[in-house]
Amino acid sequence: MAAADDATFASTDDLDEAEQEAVQDLLFRLADDELVLAERYTEWQVRAPTLESDISMANIAQDELGHARLWYEVLKGFGYDETDLIWERDADDFRHSTLVEQPFAEGDWADAIVRAYLYDVAEDIQLHALKNSTFEPIRDRVGKVLGEEDYHLEYATNWLERLAADDEGRENVQDAVDRLYPYALTLFEPTDEEVEATIVERGLRGEDLVELRDTWHDRVSDFLESIGIEVPGLDLPDQYDVHISPDELPEHLGRDGDHTDHWESLLDEMTEAYDELGRDYATHIMDDDE
Amino acid sequence: MIWEVFRQNQAGDYHTHCGNVHAPDREMALLFAEVQHGRRKPTNSLWVVPQEEIGEVDTEDAKFGGTTNKSYRFARTYNVEPAAEEVEASEKELTEAERKRGEA
Repeated sequence: MAAADDATFASTDDLDEAEQEAVQDLLFRLADDELVLAERYTEWQVRAPTLESDISMANIAQDELGHARLWYEVLKGFGYDETDLIWERDADDFRHSTLVEQPFAEGDWADAIVRAYLYDVAEDIQLHALKNSTFEPIRDRVGKVLGEEDYHLEYATNWLERLAADDEGRENVQDAVDRLYPYALTLFEPTDEEVEATIVERGLRGEDLVELRDTWHDRVSDFLESIGIEVPGLDLPDQYDVHISPDELPEHLGRDGDHTDHWESLLDEMTEAYDELGRDYATHIMDDDE
Repeated sequence: MIWEVFRQNQAGDYHTHCGNVHAPDREMALLFAEVQHGRRKPTNSLWVVPQEEIGEVDTEDAKFGGTTNKSYRFARTYNVEPAAEEVEASEKELTEAERKRGEA
């Protein structure tokens, strides 16, 4: 972390090869998580419990898409265009966590809210660790993203408090936590251990994934236990190489490009119109944010 | 439960009724109102009020302003020449207010 004190990278031109790889890796994690989660959220359109919840969820999805766009825009600095980044990318090149690609069971609102909560706390912690990133284009965008995240967290916690207020609701929340918790842990898995080490060494992110996960686990457990929900502990192995992965991880991590089957069908659905129209460019209806 | 929502465009403006939201309590009503009524229009502040807490009196129950001529309530009714400067100022204000109402 010594480098973080004095080095700062104003643009992609200031990065050496290892740093370029690390910054891209970091951005793909951020952008892909937001894109895929937003895509899943939109499945609740006209299906949420009330009109108001519906509009709020759609609004949150739009926020997350906006954040994905902010991060993808930085990736364009490495020579990608939108077709490379989204429309024509292979499913196993996406780096999102398998938490965000899981389908919702029909009408399982508790799943949507628990997932939003687990994700939003992780995002909040991660963004704070990026506030002092040595890579300026990332650092400059953090405030904008955080500005919209407070609402997401408040929305998820307010819903959870109300869902857990009676036995049936609490049971639904508990089921969702038990099911989603292992997938949430993949948020903190490295895409590649060596690249992850560079991310931390060069101060691109202020904390390593294990530190982020510990903070996340404490915060999530404190809150969920306060509303009567049990949270699994973290079982960590005695021996590890670089990154410490907990035992509870699911079979597919996502971060390493290995996804569950749900991802391929979701991506097909997402790009269906693009493919059917035989497009080779992305349509733009508004100007870039910056 | 229905909550009536009032939006203020910018600091200093009145909060104006803009619609309502369904929500179980005040906290959720505010969260929903923020998105439903604050996301596409300039908003400085929102109020939510339980619909059942709003009292109403309308033209069926009341004769607003009374039924007889009470034009003396308006300063410009006093046609004294020359008008006192207070009357003139008041008249200007009234004309201006009417003009604005006409525009709105």
